[in-house]
Amino acid sequence: MLARALFSLLAFVALAPLISASSDYHEKLLLQPLPQSALLASFTFQGNESQQSFDERHFRYFPRALGQILRHSNTKELHLRFTTGRWDAESWGSRPWNGSKEGGTGVELWAWIDAPSDQEAFAKWITLTQSLSGLFCASLNFVDSTRTTRPAALFDSTGDHPASSNLHLLHGTLPGEVVCTENLTPFVKLLPCKGKAGISSLLDGHKLFDASWQSMSVDVRPICPSPDECVVQIDQTVDIVLDIDRSKRPRDNPIPRPVPSEELVCDTSKPYHDYDTCYPLESAAERGWSLHEIFGRTVSGVCPLAENSEDNEPICLRVPHDRGVYVSPGATESKDETGFSRCFSLDPSQPFDLLVQEQDATVQVPLDEPVLRAERTIVGHGQERGGMRIIFDNPSDTQGVDFVYFETLPWFLRPYVHTLQATITGRDGIRHQVPASQIIRETFYRPAIDRERGTQLELAISVPAASTVTLTYDFEKAILRYTEYPPDANRGFNVAPAVIKLSQDPPVYIRTTSLLLPLPTPDFSMPYNVIILTSTVIALAFGSVFNLLVRRFVSVDEAAALTSQTLKGRLLGKIVALKDRLGGKQSKTE
Amino acid sequence: MATPTALPPLPFNPSRARSYLLRLPLFTRLVLLATLVFWLLELQTVWSVVQWGALTPSEINLGTMYRLNTYPLIHMGFFHFLLNVVALTPLLERFEAEHGTLTAVALFIGPLSTLPAGLYLLIEKGIFNRNASVVGASVWVFLLLASEAIRTFKSHPHFSLGSTKIPTWTSPLFVCAVVSALVPNTSFLGHMCAIAVGYLLGLGYLKFFVPPEKILRFLEGKLNLLGRLPHYVSVDQKTFGRYGVLPTSAPVGDRPLPPPRSVVHLQIINNINWVEDTDLMALKSAIRNLRSNPQFLFARLPYILSFICIVAGVVWLALLPLDDYSRRTYISENALLPGQVHAYFSGSEQHVFRGYKKEIESLLPASYHEVQESGVRDAEFTPVVSDKIQSILRAAGLKVATQNYEYSSSGITHQGQNVYAIINAPRGDATEAIVLVAAWKTADGELNLNGVTLALTLARYFKRWSLWSKDIIFVFPPDSKSGTQAWIDAYHDMQPASIQPLPLKSGALQGGLVIEYPFDHRFESIHIVYDGVNGQLPNLDLFNTAVAIAGGQMGIGASLQEMWDHKNDYRARLETILRGMLKQGLGYATGAHSSFMPYHIDAITLQPKGEGWQDEMALGRTIESLCRSLNNLLEHLHQSFFFYLLMHTNRFVSIGTYLPSAMLVAGNFTIMAIALWMRTGYRPRATAAVKPGEKSNDETPSDEKPSDEKSEVEQKSQTEAKDATSTTERQLALPLSLVVGLHLLGLIPLYTFNNLSYKYYTPATYAYILADILLPIFLSALLTRHTSTSTKTNPHQHHLIKSFSLLPLGLFLSTLATLNFSLSFIIGLLCTPLTFIHRIPKTTPAPLRYPLTLAGLILLNLLSPPVVLLATCAYTGTSVETVLTQAAFGWDVWGMWTQVVVWCVWWPAWLSGGALLGCSFF
Repeated sequence: MLARALFSLLAFVALAPLISASSDYHEKLLLQPLPQSALLASFTFQGNESQQSFDERHFRYFPRALGQILRHSNTKELHLRFTTGRWDAESWGSRPWNGSKEGGTGVELWAWIDAPSDQEAFAKWITLTQSLSGLFCASLNFVDSTRTTRPAALFDSTGDHPASSNLHLLHGTLPGEVVCTENLTPFVKLLPCKGKAGISSLLDGHKLFDASWQSMSVDVRPICPSPDECVVQIDQTVDIVLDIDRSKRPRDNPIPRPVPSEELVCDTSKPYHDYDTCYPLESAAERGWSLHEIFGRTVSGVCPLAENSEDNEPICLRVPHDRGVYVSPGATESKDETGFSRCFSLDPSQPFDLLVQEQDATVQVPLDEPVLRAERTIVGHGQERGGMRIIFDNPSDTQGVDFVYFETLPWFLRPYVHTLQATITGRDGIRHQVPASQIIRETFYRPAIDRERGTQLELAISVPAASTVTLTYDFEKAILRYTEYPPDANRGFNVAPAVIKLSQDPPVYIRTTSLLLPLPTPDFSMPYNVIILTSTVIALAFGSVFNLLVRRFVSVDEAAALTSQTLKGRLLGKIVALKDRLGGKQSKTE
Repeated sequence: MATPTALPPLPFNPSRARSYLLRLPLFTRLVLLATLVFWLLELQTVWSVVQWGALTPSEINLGTMYRLNTYPLIHMGFFHFLLNVVALTPLLERFEAEHGTLTAVALFIGPLSTLPAGLYLLIEKGIFNRNASVVGASVWVFLLLASEAIRTFKSHPHFSLGSTKIPTWTSPLFVCAVVSALVPNTSFLGHMCAIAVGYLLGLGYLKFFVPPEKILRFLEGKLNLLGRLPHYVSVDQKTFGRYGVLPTSAPVGDRPLPPPRSVVHLQIINNINWVEDTDLMALKSAIRNLRSNPQFLFARLPYILSFICIVAGVVWLALLPLDDYSRRTYISENALLPGQVHAYFSGSEQHVFRGYKKEIESLLPASYHEVQESGVRDAEFTPVVSDKIQSILRAAGLKVATQNYEYSSSGITHQGQNVYAIINAPRGDATEAIVLVAAWKTADGELNLNGVTLALTLARYFKRWSLWSKDIIFVFPPDSKSGTQAWIDAYHDMQPASIQPLPLKSGALQGGLVIEYPFDHRFESIHIVYDGVNGQLPNLDLFNTAVAIAGGQMGIGASLQEMWDHKNDYRARLETILRGMLKQGLGYATGAHSSFMPYHIDAITLQPKGEGWQDEMALGRTIESLCRSLNNLLEHLHQSFFFYLLMHTNRFVSIGTYLPSAMLVAGNFTIMAIALWMRTGYRPRATAAVKPGEKSNDETPSDEKPSDEKSEVEQKSQTEAKDATSTTERQLALPLSLVVGLHLLGLIPLYTFNNLSYKYYTPATYAYILADILLPIFLSALLTRHTSTSTKTNPHQHHLIKSFSLLPLGLFLSTLATLNFSLSFIIGLLCTPLTFIHRIPKTTPAPLRYPLTLAGLILLNLLSPPVVLLATCAYTGTSVETVLTQAAFGWDVWGMWTQVVVWCVWWPAWLSGGALLGCSFF
């Protein structure tokens, strides 16, 4: 339901340029409380710039910094993702935007680059990553050939590209990148109102990065309603899941100290309940919250650029209609017919706040069940080899799921694809070993080259209804050169999350968690130095003492006499004698 | 004993070192002796020699002037002593040989120690106004080096390095700089003072300190010093150049008596003529000597060496508790920051704790409440309890899952259900995790109600914090032995079929903490258990963090190895080490944490002990603080030691210090094995002379032999060269197959003791004791019957059997020492008789031979594996059945391989030793 609602929103925003092909700007915030006192906030900012003015470098709604980079690197379509945390599908249902607006943990980037050849496309890609690295303060410049792949079936271009263009899709991930404020600031700066007005004024790094899950995306693509009337569209989203309890803690006292005993909610029906004994009762009531409490600030009016757009209700809230909601004066509320959604139009000059009352939940906003659950873990132990285990769980009792499974592995993880095995577990818990071909319909495998490129594995898989498929394969861990280890070598090496694309319309994307691969690591620290130092000292001391004890100091004439007795000396003597004999003949002839 | 008269060529000549040491002149010897005595004196703790004799600027007054002379003789520990002695001996010997004993005495007691000291005092106190005390003979080393350098400078003014010419007199300065850079706590200033005085000495400015020759000569003549004192270097001798050491014509083994003076003079005059022959002569005589007495090299030396190795190994271990050989613990991983955070687990959390406890108590059967009065409390981990734990965790907002497992070992089935829950790190990505384990039953089988409740309360409390960078997993296994093992195996997908896989997982585990709190009263201190399966240990940083947090932050004392009142003296430290070694050697799991170690996950158990005023919240805060420290980790714990012996909560020895101990013990077997192998390669000369078929007389007590041979040396020296090469062919088939067979035979008890039902363990042990009595005799009977056809090779093959059985033992134990030091050391000690046991020669009269053999066999049987097991069980008061059941459980579940070492390494070596001894009967 949520996904559908979001998608309808997305479709609405996407369709907007159809109505007005000129440049325009929209923004939208959707708030939805989730179970376990979580709150999903989806910010959408969309700007359109006509292709003509884009080509003339006349940027109004499109950020100039990004536009120049795209032009310089011949990038026609760009998708950039910054993600931290995990989406808890078990409690929160299916993902916002069907997962299409999120990336794996860290930074993920893919782009369609117009270039005549692969090499030139890669050169442009490097230009792009280097420039974006500077723009977003992210380590995107580390996306080198080992981290770049060319997915075969994973991504489809969503923009309208002229048929004449020669597009190359390149994809790179940085699973170890920590997304933080330094990425948010340039992100907000790309917006026309730069966080000063409109919903973007809620984007405060302190609260945003205290979220349980958080994803920022930038999508740029050309859209052509008609062949000669194209716009370049930039779509920026921020999706966060906040913990309401945690966000409501005051900023100057964020420590979750034990509550005073009189505030403890206890189950008084227990026979042992006493002033000092308390069986805690987790309240079933929905938490009350307000924008100011959650984000630390209120919405400061409306972004003037978005004012004259058709959709003048920039904030929507998905709670049942019977939930008490209070808004600041000047704002108007409009409820939709589904009974779960209401939107607010704002007074442009007034700050806007929204207060949702604490209330016992009578009706829950229905959540979509995820279509597929995926889990990927490294199994086995030891420094030499390990195994990968990927579990796909199809919760549906009736329908099978078809999807594309894509993973890139760093070159120092060497998979043995012949060990790929599939196991099916039904609902009865009985495991059957099945031939992998029964599950995997198609395979695209591009083996790694040491220090040049990673492994790329794309599998088209179908999981039957009501069953769990487990794929396993073994791998070997390479030993790196000692300069190739990062400073925190003992932490392990990040392996990028796998991406799953469910072949539906629209496609649903799921990403597994990233993995930590421990590699055999030499001991770089103190003992190593100590061993070297002590060995040197002992060698010096031992050498001199040993020489004193063993070596004989003799005069030169003695030495000659001594060497003549050894085997080597005797051999040399023989040789000399032989030479003499040969030389003697000569002397005779003279 | 057979006396091989031929010898294999030696790689280097040990007699040179020996003769060098034996020729050390008098004053050098005295100085070395004094240094040694002072070092030995320093070993006691009552009177600090260093404080008494060191050159401390502030302590110097008229009454303490003796310090100016004593400081070079005193050292700060063994290595200081050893290095200085090694460096000083050649220099001082050369000086004395050159200048004569009397001059050396006069100079070294006088100006050569007081001058540098005075200079040092002047600079240190007068100029720098500091007060660093110095000791050690290095002052003389540098002084002599400097004077030698000046002398070298006079003959070779430069040595060139590339194109630059470096004056040779600077070399001591380089040495001084290198030493002060490499060796800690050296006094650069002290060494520089010594070098300065040394330069003066070398340049001859200190000549006026040398007593006039006349007086020396007069003294020497009057007192007849040359005649009275051994190794005395005469005043006259210096006129004959620096290498005028008296040659000795006697065999190296016998120290020459000091010759009368006239003889000396004669020899000195001759000296010039044959000084160039000295080296050659010494070499020849040494070789001749060893040739004539191979008994020493082959038959006696290995025994001496082996014995020295064993004694040194044991003494080494006994030295470890001393302050000089152990170190204070320290936190190596800076990220841990132990105790740097405030722990907030208190206040109303205690009400929740009580609530949870009452809730779980209400589910326990009536028997639990009844037996409570008697003090023993027990209750099974029922599904009801499991459900309650799950519901509490779910209510707290954690993800909960369960795992069923079943193990069977020795006919006993262990089954249960693990409950576990995960707190997802708020911004984490399931890459790393910390584990908290609270088993329903502690390692001692007690009900761990408080521990489980505490873990539940902590889970609820931790969930509120947003600072976790790693997931936290709470595991509630029904017991400490099998539950965690099943869980951790399944976590890595390495579980056997009888164990369910885990439905819920997280990332790589970075550390584990086990909570045990099996009683209701308050506690005094925390006992930290850290031993893992097969003697694996967690990273020392984890232990140190726990000690630092408990002691430093929470004010709770910590203890280890059940040493409740640890006085931190030698005795208590040694006892702690030995207890740790025993646990490590046995290699069993000492708690729920042990199962984590094989997967390279560092884990410890915290057990509250004693009656005090610390309550469960204090333990909770300790765990909170520990979790916060682990949460800080950026990398897997790797900084500190994984191989250590702890002797106190803040003292340890690391592998580099303790390893030689086990290596020496293991090395004794290898030495003996190699010696026997070499010995068997050469035909005993005596047997070669004897007609074949005749009863060999090589077994005659060989003590008389060297003396006989000595007389023969002169005549036979020519023919001997031929004899020396008379090698024999080794007959390997029988010894090899016997030793290999015995090692394979070890698989039978290994299989038996791991697969029998527990009821039969005690009878099986007695059966093996009986087998151990009979088997050696049976084997020896078989051996003698087989070899009686060729009597000549009989002792030969016995040597080979012994060699082959000791060789794998030595190799295995030295390898094992690096992995499980304690096991290697214990087995090594139990095997020591095998080095010295051999077939008693047939020539020994029967009335002596049979009782000796019998006594030997009885002694050997007392040290056989099953008897040692029985004795240990009787001593500790546990039943054999329990121990063996536990061992089989360890083999089946924990992957413990102590049994393999016992049955496939120790037992075969023991059997062949017994068989060899048994041969004496026949």
